[in-house]
Amino acid sequence: MPHALGRALPWLGLLARLVVGGVWIAAGALKLPDPAESVRAVRAYRLLPEAFVPSVGYGLPALEIAIGLLLVAGLATRVAAGVSALLFVLFIVGIASAWGRGLQIDCGCFGGGGYAADAASKYPWEVARDTGLLLGSVLLLIWPRTRVGLDGWLLPDVRSVEG
Amino acid sequence: MSKEDRNATERIKAMREQQAAAERRRRTLLVGGIVALVVAAIVGIAIAVQSGRNDVAVGSTAPAGVTADNGILRGKDSAPVSVVVYEDFQCPVCRAFEQNVGPTVTSYVDKGTVQIEYRPIAFLDSASTTNYSSRALATAACALDDGGPSVFQKLHDLLYVNQPGEGTAGLSDAQLADLAAQAGANKAAVTSCQSAGTYDGWVSRATDQASKDGVNGTPTYFVDGKQVTFSQGQDPKVTLTKLIDAAAGSR
Repeated sequence: MPHALGRALPWLGLLARLVVGGVWIAAGALKLPDPAESVRAVRAYRLLPEAFVPSVGYGLPALEIAIGLLLVAGLATRVAAGVSALLFVLFIVGIASAWGRGLQIDCGCFGGGGYAADAASKYPWEVARDTGLLLGSVLLLIWPRTRVGLDGWLLPDVRSVEG
Repeated sequence: MSKEDRNATERIKAMREQQAAAERRRRTLLVGGIVALVVAAIVGIAIAVQSGRNDVAVGSTAPAGVTADNGILRGKDSAPVSVVVYEDFQCPVCRAFEQNVGPTVTSYVDKGTVQIEYRPIAFLDSASTTNYSSRALATAACALDDGGPSVFQKLHDLLYVNQPGEGTAGLSDAQLADLAAQAGANKAAVTSCQSAGTYDGWVSRATDQASKDGVNGTPTYFVDGKQVTFSQGQDPKVTLTKLIDAAAGSR
């Protein structure tokens, strides 16, 4: 790895942590106040069997906030980034599938959900946004050691022990 | 420094690095394991808490006069064509539809051609600061239980005329009770029904059932069981009239 990139990467990682983590926290927090709406938003995709719909609707916002807090704090970054990447892949598949099946639904990404008249015009942007956030997550999955994070404090680098 | 000394120093260094790497692995696993457990616990607790907050109350009482599909019927049972409409008292498009197609539907009902079933739901609570959507429907349920379908019908129309804007606090429970009284319900009965939350469970249940039935938005119309697709280019009144006439003609 070139020296300059090697030095820039931990800072780029910090930026990715804050952006991706911040989005997760906002997305989860906006869904918490209305659990019924969250369940309906999941159901509107018509992808999951009804038996799983309520648990996903109730649990997903909390998972999103937890992943967001871990990323922002830089704690267990690799694990959090892995879960984050997995969720974005699932969301992209879900939105693309709704788009492909001609469903007119709000993605429910930041609360809301259900029918939306202008849904078709929003799907491309939603997929693009989630793809960008997926790339940020993958970056952190490959290079989890970034600037200013709890991992650096809990898991001292081999080099710093040596020095 | 002699050659042996250098070798010894390097060996010690390598040993230290090994130890540090082992310690790092140990800590990574420990931190990852603890974090995974804590996150799993948080998600589990969230599922329990959120499902408790969204108690759909399977056994909750429905107001007198609703159908098995949580609907309110208007028109003769002998009417050849059935129209079903899902609507939300907070929904501006429902209000626009009510003004546009409402009179047309009413004339078909009066002629005995159509029996309409209103299936009110409350899924727009986030569009007000006070869960107006649910409160308005709970009040309508109280008024229905107290005064029957004709009172419900009047209150239904009044609620659209007095529909609050999105993002506002909406009407207070007292103002809603006033409208119910104006529609012919007993105000004291409606007020005590509101404060007891008698039909709050039914409101959640009806809304949840609509979502399970694949209704993701309002207004959603069905003519003889078939969902109506309103196209941008055609007046909804014309679309509905054609479908009702076709359905009536095929009898």
